[in-house]
Amino acid sequence: MILLTMVARVADGLPLAASIQEDEQSGRDLQQYQSQAKQLCRKLNAQSPDRCTLEAGDMNFHYLIAQGVCYLSLCEASFPKKMAFAYLEDLHNEFYDQYGRRVPTVTRPYSFIEFDTYIQKMKKSYVDSRARRNLGSINTELQDVQRIMVANIEEVLQRGEALSGVTKLCQSPVRP
Amino acid sequence: MSTAGFNSQNGTGTGQTYANGPSQNPVALQQLPGVSYGMTHQPSYNPMPAKAPPPTGPGLYPSAPYQPVPPVSSYQPGPQITSYPSSPGQPLLPRPPLSGPPSHTPPQSASPSPGPRMPPAQATPPPPAVSSSSYYPSPQQPMAPAWQYNTAPPPMGPPTSISTPPRGPVANHVNPAASLAEPLPPSLAPYSTAPPPRVSQSVTQPPGPGMPPTSMLGYTQPGTAPPPMNPMVPNTYQPGRPAYGPPPTGPSPIGPPPIMKPTPPPTGTPVANTTPPPPKGDAGLAQPGPPGRHLGHYPSLPPGYQNASAPHGTSSMHPAMQAAMQPYTQAPQPYQQPPGGPGPAQLSPSLAAMSLQSSTPEALRVVNLLQERNLLPPTPVPAPTPCLPQDLQKINCNPEVFRCTLTSIPQTQSLLNKAKMPLGLLLHPFKDLSQLPVVTSSTIVRCRSCRTYINPFVSFLDQRRWKCNLCYRVNDVPEEFMYNPVSRSYGEPHKRPEVQNATIEFIAPSEYMLRPPQPAVYLFVLDVSHNAVETGYLNVFCQSLLDNINALPGDSRTKVGFITFDSTIHFYNLQEGLSQPQMLIVSDIEDIFLPTPDSLLVNLNECKELVQDLLKSLPTLFGKTMETQSALGSALQAAFKLLSPTGGRMSVFQTQLPNLGVGALQSREDPNQRASAKDIQHLSPATDFYKKLALDCSGQQVAVDLFLLSAQYCDLASLGCISRYSAGSVYYYPSYHHQHSPAQVERFQKDLKRYLTRKIGFEAVMRIRCTKGLSIHTFHGNFFVRSTDLLSLPNVNPDAGFAVQMSIEDNLDDMQVVSFQAALLYTSSKGERRIRVHTLCLPVVSSLSDIFSGADVQAMTGLLACMAVDRSVTASLSDARDAMTNAAIDSLTSYRQSVLTIQQPGLLAPACLRLFPLYILALLKQKAFRTGTSTRLDDRVFAMCQLKYQPLFYAMLMIHPALYRVDDLTDEGALNINERTIPQPRVLQLSVEKLSREGAFLMDTGTVMYLWIGRNCHPNFLTQVLGVPNYAAVPENLYLLPELDTAESQRTRAFVGWLRDQRPFYPSLHVIRDESQLKANFMQNMIEDRTASALSYYEFLLHLQQQISK
Repeated sequence: MILLTMVARVADGLPLAASIQEDEQSGRDLQQYQSQAKQLCRKLNAQSPDRCTLEAGDMNFHYLIAQGVCYLSLCEASFPKKMAFAYLEDLHNEFYDQYGRRVPTVTRPYSFIEFDTYIQKMKKSYVDSRARRNLGSINTELQDVQRIMVANIEEVLQRGEALSGVTKLCQSPVRP
Repeated sequence: MSTAGFNSQNGTGTGQTYANGPSQNPVALQQLPGVSYGMTHQPSYNPMPAKAPPPTGPGLYPSAPYQPVPPVSSYQPGPQITSYPSSPGQPLLPRPPLSGPPSHTPPQSASPSPGPRMPPAQATPPPPAVSSSSYYPSPQQPMAPAWQYNTAPPPMGPPTSISTPPRGPVANHVNPAASLAEPLPPSLAPYSTAPPPRVSQSVTQPPGPGMPPTSMLGYTQPGTAPPPMNPMVPNTYQPGRPAYGPPPTGPSPIGPPPIMKPTPPPTGTPVANTTPPPPKGDAGLAQPGPPGRHLGHYPSLPPGYQNASAPHGTSSMHPAMQAAMQPYTQAPQPYQQPPGGPGPAQLSPSLAAMSLQSSTPEALRVVNLLQERNLLPPTPVPAPTPCLPQDLQKINCNPEVFRCTLTSIPQTQSLLNKAKMPLGLLLHPFKDLSQLPVVTSSTIVRCRSCRTYINPFVSFLDQRRWKCNLCYRVNDVPEEFMYNPVSRSYGEPHKRPEVQNATIEFIAPSEYMLRPPQPAVYLFVLDVSHNAVETGYLNVFCQSLLDNINALPGDSRTKVGFITFDSTIHFYNLQEGLSQPQMLIVSDIEDIFLPTPDSLLVNLNECKELVQDLLKSLPTLFGKTMETQSALGSALQAAFKLLSPTGGRMSVFQTQLPNLGVGALQSREDPNQRASAKDIQHLSPATDFYKKLALDCSGQQVAVDLFLLSAQYCDLASLGCISRYSAGSVYYYPSYHHQHSPAQVERFQKDLKRYLTRKIGFEAVMRIRCTKGLSIHTFHGNFFVRSTDLLSLPNVNPDAGFAVQMSIEDNLDDMQVVSFQAALLYTSSKGERRIRVHTLCLPVVSSLSDIFSGADVQAMTGLLACMAVDRSVTASLSDARDAMTNAAIDSLTSYRQSVLTIQQPGLLAPACLRLFPLYILALLKQKAFRTGTSTRLDDRVFAMCQLKYQPLFYAMLMIHPALYRVDDLTDEGALNINERTIPQPRVLQLSVEKLSREGAFLMDTGTVMYLWIGRNCHPNFLTQVLGVPNYAAVPENLYLLPELDTAESQRTRAFVGWLRDQRPFYPSLHVIRDESQLKANFMQNMIEDRTASALSYYEFLLHLQQQISK
């Protein structure tokens, strides 16, 4: 199950597009994960590994960085890692195609929120059991996936002092 | 998609009993012969109830629970505001607990004991004491029905004190530092789109508005002459009715010795006939002439009252009446400076005061209401202009957007109590504006302690520091703000658009989002019971939506969905790829669930054809239904489930009393009691089901708009809660029928167009801040109050108005001006998070005469109407009526006793309040509050809803309709708009006396217009405008003006069209004759006339006078 997907610019963590799981039956609270995802995107920089899995309880964050854009998803820990990264790859191909050149120029958060429509479709096809047929093509990359770095989200987020201000900012409730 | 129909295998595989799947549709439109509609390939539409999702509990949004609105304002603009009552990480939008605390019920009227005021127990003290001690003249009735509107309501200490303190500490380290710490690539901080015109405006004011010290010091208001009542200011001042709540917050015993300025003696205070009035041509009018001296004056005896006639050019004093009507243009032009206003700004206080004393401001000119008859200005009443230095007033907020009942704010609560006028703000925050500066900036500059947005009324101490005008904290000017992108210059922070515009919009950075901006989501919930089909509304609805489907606000993410219901709930699967829509029927209404959660709300762009197919066939689908029951409650629950993951707008169309399942209601109205009942029952909801559901909706960013089309009683008092607390709106089309009420059909059609295509904001919140010392304590409108002063608005629309009441908690002694700021954070239909900020600045005054001279009679009337609605529900209608009457009595009493220096006979009012008694009488005769006249309960409740959430401009027409003579329209004085000539007939008093059988008269009541044709109406008008040969040939049900190619017809249509253009919704027009059924409605609006159950205006004045002179 892919619960949350976010696309952000690595340079400044500006969110570009996102999709949250709209399944009310899961009834899960994603708020905390969303705020972690935002923090994580701010934390990333050019030196960050371009693929990484971050454990967060019974969930995993997977992210992929390509062309200065980070694609991040939150999946249940049981969701196959290789599928998760294949999914992110797919997002990247489409996103870069559609918006790649405009990424450096935008200033407004979620400027490409309309990408949400595509994300939702992709998500459905990956979560759908029918998508098992995709597995064949993914298997070959299995080796790669296993080499992807695994860390713990809490640790990553707490690393570094300068981060704390940002953390608060993210968490401070919105006040009009 | 080649077959535009639905499969006809209806009912396959299920024993479902539904009456609406006929095997044939003889009447099928849209080339659907013989096609019926029903289940297709959906054997599973009878899913097990067990599939029902768990109730979405407080789990999704785990944060701070809703706090019941503390009736007392706990808003203290101190540091605690900085924090938001939730700890870090908590979401913006806490869900209410399912049992939603009934927090919105207006708390004010502290245990009102309905004691009508009538007993003139005026055995009350000597004159001075009356004014100050008893807002209500009957001391032995401590609970008399009046509003203590100026004081904060009774102390409810616990809730507030609990909720506020913890907010303090968290505050300061939350935002400010962070926003500065945010690393920003320089290239990302550009700022776009301040419209050029703004610049020129700003350049013209050298010192910058925000640097007042010098100019402000010398500034005094006209009429600052110390009130002569000083000697009378009793040290013994005490609120007369302690039971009303806390003594005024200020140190009341000291009284309000208003100003200690060494001002000269009161040479020229208000009495007009002792002072030479301003040279405006109305001088003579102030003189209370002998009865009958002018024709237009009231004779001294009531009986003769009806005879006086000839109009009298009373008020030529408002030349620029159009100000309030004009579209929002660049602020400055429309404003009118009061005489003598700006000039003295440069003078020293004493000089200024002296120069002003030579003339009494027009607002304070004494008017004897009993003698001066023609009080109505010939054109709509403009908002008064606050008495501010010109440079401030020039950039002040447009009064159509933001308006205060008192444009001069009293310095202390005790002074306010003495004035006995309500203090509050009226807002129209999301009004359609023709010009709005939009700023994109990575840092939005706000006060670090109270979070006020930087605005034109802050002061810059130097280039690097600015002082907040609400809490007076000194803040740094961020580096980025030093650069002015408009002028492309550096080092002029006071010229930034934020500091040049009282209304501005920001594109919000991501800190203002707790989740990605939601898409525009529209869900339509349609009643398809037999009753609904009978009205024929489905056709109009479907056609309107088809016509406007490409104009729905949104982007490529926009989603739509449909639910229909009768005794069962029908869903429509519109998933991309289907060849036609599938209907899914859920008959288990006790435990509602969504049959296929992901395909009911679909992307409009991708599934447009399916949606269109559905809309084309819906009207005929249920053509033969015999189902009479209505399970509205379950349908709403289903719709809520469908929308709760995203939020959005739910539009509900209902045609009867819901009578099945949850939320079922019973008729509570006894038609025989409509006219005779002593007091009106059943104004409050019969069940809390709708309110609770609305609170759930609010928590999930879902707003519910209710369209009620019914001839029968529907219990709007209960149903309306669904919209009220979810920030929706109610639209009501009584007796809607596609054949019998063509005017209603036309209005419904036009309203739908507006409704579907107007701007919309999603997941919005609004906060109103005011300068330290002032405190907001009660809100009016449709919303849910979260955390004391944050209004939760799942949707916000451009036609919604709001009002708030205020009190003065700390003396505003050393302040020249105070400010109010409304900030509305919303997501646009394109997924942009935006903040619209309005800032209003008003002067502080220390004398009663200044307070009176700044009174805004329309705003006061609008606020009183809101308060009266609350009072009617929490106490009783008679209570509310008495309180309104008392509001007029009290303010005029206070004026007479504390402002007037020379007592004279008559009923005296300052010119600015001269319409107050008329408006109060109009409210007493308004549908919402009238008694003795047969009024359907739903009509009454609807009128109440409208008074609460309509912007003031529209509400005023409901209260006091405008009457024009239209058979003799000329081009003289006409407006010229877009090459169209719009005649401007003058506004007439609402009295039969003004009608004449020879004429034709147009009455504009806001939502309905009546064109009354006199029996002997000039044949020219009949032929040239109505296209009929004579009076008898005027058709009974005429609701359209024929488009004739005559000058008269063009003028009339231009005028009616112009009136219609000024409001968002379409007023229907009824041409009526003496025999028409609607004549009674027309005549009921003749407010100045006597009816069997209500006083005439003159009698009402006499009543007021009697009460005042006691």
